Amino acid sequence: MEWRHKNLISLEGWTREELSFFLDQTEYMEELLNRPIKKVPALRGKIVVNCFFENSTRTRSSFEIAGKVLSADVINWSSSGSSASKGETLRDTVWTLEAMAADGVVVRHGEVGVPDYLAKKLKRAAVFNAGDGTNGHPTQALLDLYTARQKLGNLEGARMAIIGDVLHSRVARSDIQAFRKMGVNVTLCGPATLMPENTASLGVEYVSDAREAASGKDILYFLRMQRERQEDGLIPSIDEYHRRWGATDSLVSLASPRAVVMHPGPMNRGMEIASSVADGPRSVILEQVRSGVAVRMALLYLCLGGVR
Amino acid sequence: MILLKNARIFDGRSIGTASEDLLLKDGVIAGRGKDLSGDGAEVFDLGGKLVCPGFIDLHVHFRDPGYEWHENTESGARAAAGGGFTTVVTMPNTDPVVDNPVTVEYLVARGKRAGAARVLPSGCVSRGRQGKQLAELSLMAESGAVFFTDDGAPVSDAKLLKTALLYTRDLGVRIMEHPEEPSLTAKSQVNEGAVSAASGMKGWPASAEVIDIHRGIVLSRETDSPIHFTHVSTELAMDAIRQAKKEGLSVTCDVTPHHLSLDETYVLVSRYSSAYKVNPPLRTRKDVKALWDAVADGTVDAIVTDHAPYHVDDKDVPFQEALSGIASLECAVAVVLDTWLKTGKPVPLERLLSLLTSGPAALLSRPWRSLGELKEGSPADVTVLDLEAIKRVDVNQWKSKARICPWDGEMLQGWPVMALVEGRVVMNRLKESE
Repeated sequence: MEWRHKNLISLEGWTREELSFFLDQTEYMEELLNRPIKKVPALRGKIVVNCFFENSTRTRSSFEIAGKVLSADVINWSSSGSSASKGETLRDTVWTLEAMAADGVVVRHGEVGVPDYLAKKLKRAAVFNAGDGTNGHPTQALLDLYTARQKLGNLEGARMAIIGDVLHSRVARSDIQAFRKMGVNVTLCGPATLMPENTASLGVEYVSDAREAASGKDILYFLRMQRERQEDGLIPSIDEYHRRWGATDSLVSLASPRAVVMHPGPMNRGMEIASSVADGPRSVILEQVRSGVAVRMALLYLCLGGVR
Repeated sequence: MILLKNARIFDGRSIGTASEDLLLKDGVIAGRGKDLSGDGAEVFDLGGKLVCPGFIDLHVHFRDPGYEWHENTESGARAAAGGGFTTVVTMPNTDPVVDNPVTVEYLVARGKRAGAARVLPSGCVSRGRQGKQLAELSLMAESGAVFFTDDGAPVSDAKLLKTALLYTRDLGVRIMEHPEEPSLTAKSQVNEGAVSAASGMKGWPASAEVIDIHRGIVLSRETDSPIHFTHVSTELAMDAIRQAKKEGLSVTCDVTPHHLSLDETYVLVSRYSSAYKVNPPLRTRKDVKALWDAVADGTVDAIVTDHAPYHVDDKDVPFQEALSGIASLECAVAVVLDTWLKTGKPVPLERLLSLLTSGPAALLSRPWRSLGELKEGSPADVTVLDLEAIKRVDVNQWKSKARICPWDGEMLQGWPVMALVEGRVVMNRLKESE
């Protein structure tokens, strides 16, 4: 397959065939990670800049490892101590990156649309969205898809429940896009105050009762819950939230026999997920982390070098 | 002395069928008729183009004083003239705010010196625009303020709004309310609905506008004092205003070219271009349709630009960082006409033109109400329209300091080609349009 995407801002423009092809590529990359010496020269001479304007450990490390395994030179440009904290405009930051001959820019930012903005300004470098505000986190969706496919096989017709704070979750938005594209039936669940006003426009169903949402599902995806939501007055208490919508053994037992439990991390144990579930037999949370590196390798390989 | 020959004349109500001439002398309209002789007059042959009372924009931000890097009275007044507007009303949310007669007089003087469109200031309803106590409304009216508004924000509480309505009842200067219930819009970025769902950005519900409009209507009824709602953007709000008018209340409203032509989907299609960030936000397709219905049935009294210019450094930034506002003075008329043409002329042309002329003129303070007509003896403010002219919007040609605009680069049909203020030519593109 001819790879036609230069950037990854959102999965909106990807076809199902492209997603499948991408996941196949990811399998090769995962094999690479199993080798005793995990380094190939695929991206030798390419410069990838990690631009993280918002804190992240796992996504940044994952992109960094992915680049390094493929022999790209990876530079980390974090917001503290960088020009961003000196009040430089993003426009100037972008032009600086271009002047430094970056081939790829991985960007995470607290605001929606920043990767789009960068991609419009950068003439040369490819842009990879590592999370923009509440909007999207497409590489997370790809690694979730990959993990689910490894566990469940063909995803067509599978049933998934995404449970938690969908309103503020970029992971949920990207996952809805990706999983629906692969033929997965997606249900959202959580308190109505943490749901977008117009869930129908996202092509998904919403139920408020977690037991109803979890019943018979093949994938239970629990979102990270932030303490601030209680301060914002959107939920009465963390304890009430945990009891109504948290991942507990009794809730998970309602799912289909082959069901997997997923979470984007980092977890708040005892809040949106009980430890017994997080560490239990259904949990694929650590597989997700491992898939993350392989997915990002495939992305860098396809967009920066590989089969152009 | 100027003679405009071979024109079709729109007098603020209807369009004459025959070709006529209009004579302007000593700053006023001196005559109208067939084959007028204008000995010693400068003659412009308009070749059948439409002559209208000068266009009036009740809502512009010229950022003067205090934010002159975005715009100032001179650049704004020249931009207005360039866009075919002969009178504009400036908003008082400047720094310092316009809440006293001295600042009103400063703006009137700055406007005169600019020598372009006529600049009529509005003043704040509340002192310091703080929403606590009344500003010196009566003194500001005497100095030339033509509206009172805390625009950028609503009049903060109902008690203050009621007091202001009572106080201005016999002043002949209207309150212009920016309808927004702030508790529902804190940190809001886009319309609440499909775009907020897709992006996760905080939604701006229609209820925020509708609640404030209901508050204003109830208080207008109770005080028997007129109220004007600006940049109304939702179907539900229009329903409320329509009902109030039916009841006979002195309730009026205006709409903007952007809410008449763009909907929320542009935010997504443009991949979060800050050009589409505005307060109130772009709404649904259904709302856009409802605004046109309200134009058609007379619920809408005026079209205003809400021209909100920003320096490119403050607007060419990612969506969430960008300030809200669309700068459009120099293409607004074309945006409205082009939309009207492309949607199959949903209202008669006379109706549309009245919203740029007699409609807004009737809402100004008393001395200015004759600006909306072309009668002998009324001020010689004239805008000439070429409905056939097709031209590309090019922000680099603008007199305004703003450089970000949703329509930049678009071909639009229907442009003002000449504007005169008190018989003085402030814009002339007749040659280009030939």
